[in-house]
Amino acid sequence: MASPNNTTTPAGEEEDDDDYMNMTFGEEEPKTETSLQRRQRLKREGEIKGRVKSKAELAAAEREEREKALNQSLLDSARAKKSKGFAMMAKMGFKPGVALGSADSAEHARLEPIRPQMKEDRGGIGLDSDRKRALNEAAAQSEKRQKVDETEFRDRVRREREQARLERQVYAAMKVCERMDEEEQAGGAKTDDGTKESTATTEKKKRTISTRPLKSIPVVWRGLIRNREEAERDRRMRHDLEQSSTRLPTYVDDLEDDDKTALGKTATAYVPVEDLEEEDTELEEFNALEVEERLRRLVEYLRKQYKYCFWCKCGYPDETMEGCPGLTEEDHD
Amino acid sequence: MSDKSNGKVSQNDKKRLSSPDVETPMKRVKTEDGDDSKPAEYNKYLAHWETGDGGWDSKYKGNGSGFSDRLPKGSPLAHFERRKTTAKQAFEAENGDNNPFTGEPHSQQYFNILKSRRNLPVHKQRQEFLDLYQKSQILVFVGETGSGKTTQIPQYVVYDELPHLSRKLVACTQPRRVAAMSVAQRVADELDVTLGEEVGYSIRFEDKTSSKTMLKYMTDGMLLREAMHDHDMSRYSCIILDEAHERTLATDILMALLKQITRRRPDLKLIVMSATLDAQKFQRYFYDAPLLAVPGRTFPVEIFYTPEPEKDYVEGAIRTVLQIHAGEDEGDILLFLTGEEEIEDTCRKISLEVDELVRETDCGPMTVYPLYGTLPPHQQQKIFDLAPPPLKKGGRPGRKCIVSTNIAETSLTIDGIVYVVDPGFSKQKIYNPRLRVESLLVSPISKASAQQRAGRAGRTKPGKCFRLYTEKAFKEELIEQTYPEILRSNLANTVLELKKLGVVDLVHFDLMDPPAPETMMRALEELNYLRCLDDEGELTALGGLASEFPLDPSLAVMLISSPEFYCSNEMLSITALLSVPQIFVRPAQKRREADEMKNLFKHNDGDHLTMLNVYHAFKGVLNRGEDARTWCHKHYLSFRHLSSADNVRAQLKRIMETQGLRLVSTDFNDKNYYINIRRALVTGFFMQVAKKEKDRVYRTLKDNSQQVMLHPSTVLQTEYDWVLYNEFVMTSKHYIRTVTGIKPEWLLELAPAYYDIDSWDGQKDVKLALKAVADKMRRRAAMKGGH
Repeated sequence: MASPNNTTTPAGEEEDDDDYMNMTFGEEEPKTETSLQRRQRLKREGEIKGRVKSKAELAAAEREEREKALNQSLLDSARAKKSKGFAMMAKMGFKPGVALGSADSAEHARLEPIRPQMKEDRGGIGLDSDRKRALNEAAAQSEKRQKVDETEFRDRVRREREQARLERQVYAAMKVCERMDEEEQAGGAKTDDGTKESTATTEKKKRTISTRPLKSIPVVWRGLIRNREEAERDRRMRHDLEQSSTRLPTYVDDLEDDDKTALGKTATAYVPVEDLEEEDTELEEFNALEVEERLRRLVEYLRKQYKYCFWCKCGYPDETMEGCPGLTEEDHD
Repeated sequence: MSDKSNGKVSQNDKKRLSSPDVETPMKRVKTEDGDDSKPAEYNKYLAHWETGDGGWDSKYKGNGSGFSDRLPKGSPLAHFERRKTTAKQAFEAENGDNNPFTGEPHSQQYFNILKSRRNLPVHKQRQEFLDLYQKSQILVFVGETGSGKTTQIPQYVVYDELPHLSRKLVACTQPRRVAAMSVAQRVADELDVTLGEEVGYSIRFEDKTSSKTMLKYMTDGMLLREAMHDHDMSRYSCIILDEAHERTLATDILMALLKQITRRRPDLKLIVMSATLDAQKFQRYFYDAPLLAVPGRTFPVEIFYTPEPEKDYVEGAIRTVLQIHAGEDEGDILLFLTGEEEIEDTCRKISLEVDELVRETDCGPMTVYPLYGTLPPHQQQKIFDLAPPPLKKGGRPGRKCIVSTNIAETSLTIDGIVYVVDPGFSKQKIYNPRLRVESLLVSPISKASAQQRAGRAGRTKPGKCFRLYTEKAFKEELIEQTYPEILRSNLANTVLELKKLGVVDLVHFDLMDPPAPETMMRALEELNYLRCLDDEGELTALGGLASEFPLDPSLAVMLISSPEFYCSNEMLSITALLSVPQIFVRPAQKRREADEMKNLFKHNDGDHLTMLNVYHAFKGVLNRGEDARTWCHKHYLSFRHLSSADNVRAQLKRIMETQGLRLVSTDFNDKNYYINIRRALVTGFFMQVAKKEKDRVYRTLKDNSQQVMLHPSTVLQTEYDWVLYNEFVMTSKHYIRTVTGIKPEWLLELAPAYYDIDSWDGQKDVKLALKAVADKMRRRAAMKGGH
């Protein structure tokens, strides 16, 4: 009844066996698989079967199998009922769940066989449990952190964005302050001198502002000037360093004064404000404030000083600032 | 020659079959019980001796027993009253000019030893011991190592039991063969007699006793085997179970048996000797027997723990040894490690490091010795050499360092050890019935074991013990007591022995620590498959015969069936080879050469046949009278293990002959020569079969099957789909070792009960494969029948 083909793969999987059955008694068409498909399928299956598992994979599979076998009591399974060994013991009065031996030893007699523990390295006694504990602690900690992250991540991102936006607004407000201040000074000069080229005056004014003591600038926008001055100074110093490092100390700059002027190397080109190097606790205190607070103060300062609303982006003629909806940004929505 | 043995054999065979061994034990028990419990019969000797005073001599001469020859005229023992002697009487008898047992004058050496014997702690309590011994049937004796209990107590018993009168022996069991031999030798010296005469020993495959023997040291396994034929142990008047704390399988069984026997035989005395203070457990077990404790001669030992767990205990151990050598006072070091390879490797490393230390500092010299069970005895002896002297006069003293398995924990006593390094591991055998695998695994030791190890440092002066683990780990991770062997073993052999010992109710057999029910169930199941037990759990004729062999039931069954396959001579050789340690030597530096040599003997069908080839070649060398030792060395074979296999084979052959089993061989030129052997292997190993999955990857069969690899040492090429294996090695990976290729037809033919397709509950593909094989066989049979 069985054909010689039988010897090919008796160990094959059940599906193979079905295929083989289908082929032998192949009255019905073997489904709709074309030879090409079949070849591809076989190739695919062959690849999966033929793939050499890595040692780690094999070891893991073995471990899993072993653990599974170790966890299964021989007495629990249906097999126990068929086992002749079990039958013999039952005849001697054995009941599952009761230990062997006399009644005297019953309290300490074993119910479960000793479990073999595989030692795979040369770690000393206590190392494994030590590692496990450390691992558990780390795991617990990271779990906790993850939980925090999940709930607060979006909040944090939003807050950060908001802060950045507010910082930009603070900067913008400070620029407004500077411009207002310039305008006011220019306005003041006009009233003093009457006719003068506005561009020239602004040039001149600018220099005076930039060279006037920082402390004279209101603290709310002093930071702007200070930062700018500091940046300028650093740029200079870097530039000087570059110049000097490429020249020997004996080098004498023999450029004519005109050339110097032409090259923009006049000594007047840069005059640092006199109190730049001084400590400015007032400004530090101001900068330590929350960004919201700094913005609030700036807005307030602009309103008070220049009757200007930062949110309306326009000045008002009088103190009441009629037409401005309020102090805050939300009021202007 | 073979004709002769054949004739003899068939007769015996018939006898064996006609009178199954199953029934005889019970009968024997009864008759002997009757004999022993008759006080008149028992007292006859005593009464006679008491009145006779010299007359007994002539009377018993005619008896042919030889007993009378042993007590010379004028012996001080003549005035002794059995079980009523005193320490003083014995003291005087020992001081006599002539040996009280042989009448020979005492040698000078005797008096020298006598002096040192009387310095032993146990000596002071001789009278106390005798009082308790005479008063009680069972006595628990606790003596720490160094108390002298193993050598002295049996002698005290001999002086009180007067074995030449009671005509019964005193037996003292030891868990290890080496201990039985060496202690017997020592006690023979102490009594000034020749080993093998008044004092003898009996171990597996070697019996050194005579009709004169009155004190017999023996392995616990041997006493158990004797009990199989003498259920009341009627040859003995006193049995001493030494090193009971080690809780070997045989000692545990003996304790349970003797607990019963002492009830039947009130005249039998039992002493249970233990080295640890856990003795209350023994007391409780033996009906609250009295306990006598003798302090050991020990000094305090200071214990040091590491602050952190060790990353690598071997590295840690080497470091610690070197630190001790560099910084501590004079005294030898004992380091405990787990196995041969690890020990040899560590010895090399320590030696190299010490050389460097000596070059760079003013350190003294240090010699390093390995110590493990399979080490040749002359090398084991080296550990008793003295430490090396200082390199130059006035230099720092030298010391020795012994790197040992746990055999130095209890069984071997080495004086001079002051420092102990304990990484806390030992190799332990573990059997799990769910996996059906018995394997040696590196496992943490117990607290009791750790204390025992530490104690080794305090033998000669106060010592130090360096534990390579934290105190917390000691308290929390180590179990209290090492699991007794009975909980860690495959019990197939034990169950067979118990059956043969006439134990009917195995389930309620009163063991000190009963094994897990599943272990017992597996054992019964296996014995049933091997046809040693019938379905009712009764011993079959085959089972009775198998129990005569000091072998695993599967090996015994294989040997018994081998005449049917015309290869009993060859199976004898293979069985012997499987009963000794690995015969192939593979030194770490010369692996390639060793493998090349092994290939000379290679048989393509597997390792069993390869081993057989080696044995045949070895015998050829022996028979030609060539130097076998050199030959072995040249071929990377263990001369010692091959010789011991030869010895084992001779012993097994004797059993085969007495059991009337034919010794036959197939003609070597017959094409079936090797096939017959492989088929015979199947009769014993059909439960250890694996089927190929992929290249070199196999899978064991039946329930809880496991994926396994062929062990790298195997010579088998992978052309076999079905293999049988001798050993399942469980490490981080699973291996099968000592493998031979077989045909699936043989499984169905030779083990039909195990490979019953209808009730097969293993893997489906195996079932299908077996079915295909069965169909093929049926077809073939039909074709044959048709023709």
